[in-house]
Amino acid sequence: MRVVVAEDSVLLREGVVRLLEEAGMEVVGQAGDADELMRKVRAHKPDVAVVDVRMPPTNTDDGLRAAQRIRAELPEVGVLVLSQYVEESYALELLDGGAEGVGYLLKDRVAEVDGFIDAVRRVNEGGSALDPEVVAQLLGRRRSTDPLDQLTPREREVLEQMAEGRTNQAIAARLVVSERAVEKHVTSIFSKLDLETSPDDHRRVLAVLAYLRA
Amino acid sequence: MRSLRHALIGLGLAGFIAGLITLPLALASDFLGDDKAAHAVFGPLITWSFVGTGLYAWWRRPGNNFGPLMTAIGFVWALSALEASEVEGLFILGVLIGPLAYALFLHMLVAFPTGRLQTPYERLLVGIGYFDTTVIQVLALLFHQTSGEEDYCTGVCPANPLMISDQPGFSDAIFGIQSVLGVFGLTAIAVLLVRRWRAAPVAQRRALAPVLLVGAATVVLLGLSLLGDVSGFPDDEAENVIDLAGLALLASVPFAFLTGLMRSRLSRAAAVSDLVSRLGEADRREALRDALAEGLGDPSLSLVYWVPAQGRYVDAAGHPVELPADGANSVCTYVEHEGRPVAVICHDASLADEPELVQAVAGAAGLALENERLNVELRARVEELRASRARIVQAADDERRRLERDLHDGAQQRLVALALNLRLAAAKLETDPEAAAALLSETATELGEATTELRELARGLHPAVLSDRGLRPALEALAGRAPLPVELDASQPERLPEAVESASYFVVAEALTNVARYAHASRAEVSVSRENGEVEVSIRDDGVGGADPEAGSGLRGLADRVAALDGRLEVVSPPGGGTTVRAVIPCA
Repeated sequence: MRVVVAEDSVLLREGVVRLLEEAGMEVVGQAGDADELMRKVRAHKPDVAVVDVRMPPTNTDDGLRAAQRIRAELPEVGVLVLSQYVEESYALELLDGGAEGVGYLLKDRVAEVDGFIDAVRRVNEGGSALDPEVVAQLLGRRRSTDPLDQLTPREREVLEQMAEGRTNQAIAARLVVSERAVEKHVTSIFSKLDLETSPDDHRRVLAVLAYLRA
Repeated sequence: MRSLRHALIGLGLAGFIAGLITLPLALASDFLGDDKAAHAVFGPLITWSFVGTGLYAWWRRPGNNFGPLMTAIGFVWALSALEASEVEGLFILGVLIGPLAYALFLHMLVAFPTGRLQTPYERLLVGIGYFDTTVIQVLALLFHQTSGEEDYCTGVCPANPLMISDQPGFSDAIFGIQSVLGVFGLTAIAVLLVRRWRAAPVAQRRALAPVLLVGAATVVLLGLSLLGDVSGFPDDEAENVIDLAGLALLASVPFAFLTGLMRSRLSRAAAVSDLVSRLGEADRREALRDALAEGLGDPSLSLVYWVPAQGRYVDAAGHPVELPADGANSVCTYVEHEGRPVAVICHDASLADEPELVQAVAGAAGLALENERLNVELRARVEELRASRARIVQAADDERRRLERDLHDGAQQRLVALALNLRLAAAKLETDPEAAAALLSETATELGEATTELRELARGLHPAVLSDRGLRPALEALAGRAPLPVELDASQPERLPEAVESASYFVVAEALTNVARYAHASRAEVSVSRENGEVEVSIRDDGVGGADPEAGSGLRGLADRVAALDGRLEVVSPPGGGTTVRAVIPCA
């Protein structure tokens, strides 16, 4: 797997690079700002670009904008955005163009090596990876009448995993249940929340997020 | 007003007739002797002059006691002319009431020009006058036979029907006391009048002079006349001259008063033109007040200005002030310029008797007052800014202290502990790799917590999404994190100026924090709209209400923040009616 890493803090960038290389990935380019990122991505056409939100030149959300540009220009390049803060709006903007090959993680997650590598792989495979904290925030949003209250604790867990972008298979593995059981939960969740069931994992993520966001 | 006018016309007629009757009374009397002519002349003259000018003053200044007092003097004088009557009852009524006219006269002089007695001393003097001319007079007449030898009767006076026992020695003693008391009282009053004239502001002197000086002269002559009664004049001729001169002066007092009134109008015009010319050179802060104080002859005068933006009155320095309530000593006159309230002149209550004067001066000063009001408004604003700047500096200091504490107690301690853990792990690596691994894993967890803490701290300082994406996404995040349902109604067609976005964001953040802490609300609504060059941010909850915007430093700080952008912050929080915090910030 070929990866470009964009992060303006050299220390952190090298840490990420080392992690990825140790996981057997090939880091084909490193960038310290958004413009360099665009050049490297256009030149190398990597499988995944790992991008920090805040980067020069303006040190605001240059990385996020670059990530969106990559998704528009080169849809085959997966994009995993790392953010200092959890901002739903960033995550949802990223997912605006579809949930295929896109991820949004809190920067701290790189320290949880396995989870981070798993997220890179999911993005590479065209899946999505949404930070649990974004999902927690969306789920934690208080509503006057909350249909989420109707969900069983297990269904809630499944919903969280779905929202983070995991497939039924991955969910089953994580919750240590059968895939069949997960499917049943998913059907139940969708009917309780009055959502259209979709066999497509990507569309499913979007449906769940759209629901949570409303 | 109409009924007063009718009453005054009626009194005027009655006074005219009363004065007229004194003439035949005096002429028909056969015991007045040499005094007959004086009675015939001064009876009608004094009656008419006092009643006439008294009624005029009454009509012009209905609120002033001066008119009624003068009118009363005229009528009492007419009644006292009954002492020329041959009929015992009428005769003794005239004798009895005669001195009362002098007491009233003294009252009038002391009360001039306000119509009120202002000090306990003045009340004492006037009280002595009434006592001397009523109680003592009655007491003396109870023991005095009038049909004997009398100063004012050349023949034989009618008998005294009031007498209960003829005690010449006793009644003479009482008359003596009456005269001595009278002399002392008159002297004190003469001194009082001269002092008052000297103390009067120059502008008023011209108006006061005729009355006070003629009054004082009359008082002196009356005093001399009384003194003669007590000690006996060496010369009857001299006594007669003094008595006649005293009466003549007394008769002229009303005319002196009329002159004073005329002059007061003239002096009013002079005061106004004087004021207007002085306003041109008013460059000191208090110059306008001083000019008004002098123009109105009231050194105690104070001036407050209306500041519409703040909806309150301020003094010349721009400090907020309460309007003094109209009281016994001070009255407020509201000044408008082109239909808008400008200022309030609080002045001595005596000036309330001359509303035309105050209005004329206020009118002349209208433009200057308006200018000064604008200056004061500016000063008030500067004053408010100064206070808010001080609070902002204070708030920034407090914030730094809080941050220092948070960093010191939180992340810094953790990092020190982590460094310690790492050293420990390094030391154990060789000897006890398992323990080292556990320590490292623990360290990694701790580290995660430290970063979380730092992240939250940094977000509290300034949310990145606000500067990156603007108000709406930032508010969405805020609403999402709130521990109660928050409905957000904010469209964001374009980015707002950074300062406006920040202020709006922190208003919502602080308000939602307060809702969560104090309101016991089940839900909240946040709305942001932009209209007519203003951004309006409002946060409404359905909680218990009763929030006091002055109580917490949080809302105060926000109000300053909003005010720094020329905006305003309102908190409406009726008990039991929920709380609405509303900020309106100009945003062209």
